[in-house]
Amino acid sequence: MKTQFRTAMLLITSLFFLALIPFNSKAQEKRLQLDLNYAVGIPGNSFKNDAIEKTSTRGWTANLLYNITPNISVGVGTGFQDFYQKYPRAVYKLNEGGEVSAVVTNSIQTVPILAQFQYRLLPGKTVQPYVGVGVGGNMIIYDQYLGEFENSKSSFKFAARPEVGLFVPFRKEGPAGIHLFGAYNYMPYKMNGVENLNNWGAGVGIKFPIGS
Amino acid sequence: MKKIVIPVLMAAGILAMTSCKKDPVKNLEGDEGQIYITKHADSVSFSSFKTFSIADSVAVIQNNKLLGKELSASDAAYIQAVKDQLTQRGYTLVNKNQNPDLGITVSQIYNTSTGVFDYGSYWDPYYGSYWGPDYWGYGGYGYSFPSYYYGTYSITEGAMSIDIFDLKDAKESNKISGIWNGLLRGSGVFSVSAANTGVKALFDQSSYFKAS
Repeated sequence: MKTQFRTAMLLITSLFFLALIPFNSKAQEKRLQLDLNYAVGIPGNSFKNDAIEKTSTRGWTANLLYNITPNISVGVGTGFQDFYQKYPRAVYKLNEGGEVSAVVTNSIQTVPILAQFQYRLLPGKTVQPYVGVGVGGNMIIYDQYLGEFENSKSSFKFAARPEVGLFVPFRKEGPAGIHLFGAYNYMPYKMNGVENLNNWGAGVGIKFPIGS
Repeated sequence: MKKIVIPVLMAAGILAMTSCKKDPVKNLEGDEGQIYITKHADSVSFSSFKTFSIADSVAVIQNNKLLGKELSASDAAYIQAVKDQLTQRGYTLVNKNQNPDLGITVSQIYNTSTGVFDYGSYWDPYYGSYWGPDYWGYGGYGYSFPSYYYGTYSITEGAMSIDIFDLKDAKESNKISGIWNGLLRGSGVFSVSAANTGVKALFDQSSYFKAS
């Protein structure tokens, strides 16, 4: 039910944005642009060794950026990535003494909220590469399950996201197009023996202007 | 316009599908939700015991109160599984009248917690979402509900517990000391299959528990 509602809301929101798209304008004009992307997250060293090895394929990012100049955009970015791994049954020592045999599942969700800066290298071209960085906070939900028994911890930490990407407009100098990116998600976090949640991100989506 | 509709809808669909968090509990299979916990007295040498006896029924305890003793199929399976595991580890089963070194009991333990859901004053005309008193021809009146209109809930969690006592040294120490406890928690622990796999796991993770 929740998923249906979410899907419906996303579709409605998308159509709303579509209605506002000025298709004859140029990408580099001063205006707000939104990119919505499907994203994957690949855990880095500590994250991989201490909590979750598996690549997350359940994620998205979104950036709302304002073009200050043909080369420079600033704005805000957010996203969601769900990391999950179930480990086979094993025996663990308990801090208070004794042992527990359990299937341990680590489930981590990250929701960064970042101030974004992007620099386009070739504005107006058919393929427009860019470099960017986002700096801000990161909502982290860390659920560790022993069998079906949950231990949940939430926290808000610093996050930074340097990234490189490409924007490929649907038509020459058009404001809407395909967006591809690769990023390093720097996410400090010390808990449950985990040193950080740093991960490599990559994604693909669309970028389009908002308003006229 | 049409060119962009399909990509936007596809992107919205992908976001909706991938924004779902993978549910750790729904992804547990078979007995993976169960956890097996053991605790023991560090100062005890388990090889100093040679014989054991086990109570022939299972105590049912709710919120620290004994409800009675019973012997269902799963209860009998638990008792038999404990006998098998200790025999395999070199201990000899004897009658309780034959001065066993170890006394063993098996218990079903239930703890119930209760609480109250307060749905708020949804009927209050102030919130405008209910039938106003004027609907009944009593405009200006107010609704009044007794306190039992709150929703209540109770959650009962159960576990199987195996306690092992030192009878050999009871007279000398003037007490019956518990030296080992095994606890099985999670869905399905009150079953014959859980008795066999769970009890074996408890003793497998207690490698110190052997007669020689």
